[in-house]
Amino acid sequence: MLWLERQVVASLSGDVRPQHRLAIEGYVDGVLRAMPELLRIGVAGESIVLGAGTWLAARLGSRRLLSERLEGWEHSRIGPIRQYVRLLSSLVIFASEELAPDPQALDPSQPSAAAAGANGRG
Amino acid sequence: MKTLETEVLIIGSGAGGAVTAATLARAGRSVLVVEEGPWIDPDAVEPFSLDEMVLKYRHQGASAALGTPGIAYAEGRCVGGSTEINSGLYHRLPEELADEWRRTYRIAEFTPEVLDKYSDLVENELSVSKLPGAPPPSSAVLERGAAKLGWRAVEFARVFRYDHQGRGVKQTMARTLVPRAVEAGAQILAECRISRLLKRDDRIVGARAERTLPGGETEPVTIIAEHVFVCGGAIQTPTLLQHSGIRAQIGNGLKFHPTIKVAARFPQAYDHGDVPMHRVTEFSPFLTIGGSASRRGHVALALADSGGDYADALAAWEDVVVYYAAIRSDGSGRVTALPGFRAPLVTYRMTDADQSRLARGLLHLGEVLLAAGATELYPSIAGAPVARRAEDLVEWWDAFTPSTANLMTVHLTSTVRMGDDQSRTGADSFGRVWGFRNLRINDASLLPDAPGVNPQAAIMTIAARNADEFLSHL
Ligand SMILES: Cc1cc2nc3c(=O)[nH]c(=O)nc-3n(C[C@H](O)[C@H](O)[C@H](O)COP(=O)(O)OP(=O)(O)OC[C@H]3O[C@@H](n4cnc5c(N)ncnc54)[C@H](O)[C@@H]3O)c2cc1C
Repeated sequence: MLWLERQVVASLSGDVRPQHRLAIEGYVDGVLRAMPELLRIGVAGESIVLGAGTWLAARLGSRRLLSERLEGWEHSRIGPIRQYVRLLSSLVIFASEELAPDPQALDPSQPSAAAAGANGRG
Repeated sequence: MKTLETEVLIIGSGAGGAVTAATLARAGRSVLVVEEGPWIDPDAVEPFSLDEMVLKYRHQGASAALGTPGIAYAEGRCVGGSTEINSGLYHRLPEELADEWRRTYRIAEFTPEVLDKYSDLVENELSVSKLPGAPPPSSAVLERGAAKLGWRAVEFARVFRYDHQGRGVKQTMARTLVPRAVEAGAQILAECRISRLLKRDDRIVGARAERTLPGGETEPVTIIAEHVFVCGGAIQTPTLLQHSGIRAQIGNGLKFHPTIKVAARFPQAYDHGDVPMHRVTEFSPFLTIGGSASRRGHVALALADSGGDYADALAAWEDVVVYYAAIRSDGSGRVTALPGFRAPLVTYRMTDADQSRLARGLLHLGEVLLAAGATELYPSIAGAPVARRAEDLVEWWDAFTPSTANLMTVHLTSTVRMGDDQSRTGADSFGRVWGFRNLRINDASLLPDAPGVNPQAAIMTIAARNADEFLSHL
């Protein structure tokens, strides 16, 4: 993952436990590596350009938080910038929910969420 | 370099490849199936889970066709192909469509009698059946909403075997035809990617492959074969052919069923372990309404796609189910292999008619869900309002634009169309690639157009028919 991608994932995953954040980051990193090469090149290009802008703005004294920038990018008039935010936020949202620590996992008397899901198929 | 020899090489073990392998192996042919993805026990990971995406999806699910709008798509990459990750919904190719294809593309032996014969075989082999009992509430929603509006809705059969207690097990290829092919003598080589076909004049003499070893390193493999079936699916099959220098009518004409979702909140909790098996068929074959996987992650994604504030709905995620509207598209796309890249460039152009059909589908989906008792609807359109009453739905019409709609598809077809009209097709009526005596395609690529229904039934039926025709020449 590139610098901006890591920052964006951290910003989007919000206030989660460090281990949960690591799991989310690991998942996003895995997907970015597995993407079709051409799409990955496009995403990496955007990360570099947007990352350079963000870094430069900070050096010039801007106090805009990354979360505020993300909000702006999400509504950008430039399609690929909107899609960039959408891609990373979709990955983070899916991973945050699916990798959330299972509150029942510590209680052996309760069926786990996993087992409930599997049984539901029948 | 390792060299293997076989009479028949089958590339890909999904819906098309597994049917081909079982048919040929049972007929006593020497068969080698080469599959790029791993061999994973069908019970090893939970259906629709993140683990499933990581282990069984190509690119871990992160594929998209470029266009306005872009369309995310998914393919399986494991022994059994996309049948391992699909919902098992099964619908025979509509007879009118088969007839239209037969005439337009001049497909020989494509009559209802022939197709029915092979569909019967597939259905018996895979125990295609309907639920033995009442449908789960998430599925009954569609039936109830449609009934209130006076629309048609039906329960689709699935590639499922049910026990006497009504518990169902999806009959994926890794659970059924792949092991049955092995029993009949076929060999399966998993984690081995065919990178190029080897040509000599009008014959394919074999293939070059790269096999991933247990430690992660790779070894080159050459496979010598008398006959080759490419069954890599509608994206990978044309990619392999183009990488091998075979390009005439290959990769153009890609067809999708563009799909848009709505997350529907109800006053009480619903089931989330399976997908709804009902479909609203009132507007078929151009528009179908159905239900999607709705685990917590999917619900969160669908809610987020609406772009608004959804925290409250997410907190009550057990009350939320994801539904969709999918269309048969007039538009089409292209798969282009790029030198030096494994994955192709995939593009898709929806027509204006497609966009209004999909927008109309979204509104109909909203109507049916509200009629069934949903209290809040979140459409996959950035910035569209949450609908709580039928009057709110009209706002979705204006909100739906190519830059705001979040679209996806899991139905990909038509990149090597079949038929004897050589000006429109990449392969003959039985999947033999024009210009090659022993190279055949036998997967979703052959369907001349999007079927308007879930495609695996048509893919397997046609694959069984083509495999039989091949045997008749030996
Ligand atoms: C999430 C999802 C849900 C779906 N739900 C349904 C449903 O309910 N009902 C329905 O009818 N259809 C459904 N489909 C579609 C259906 O599963 C596919 O249309 C069908 O499986 C396609 O069959 P195929 O043989 O063309 O390709 P696949 O089944 O995708 O198999 C192709 C195989 O070839 C392998 N391969 C590709 N290239 C190479 C290579 N170069 N070397 C070696 N191996 C290679 C791939 O790894 C893959 O395993 C769904 C699809 C998805 C992704």
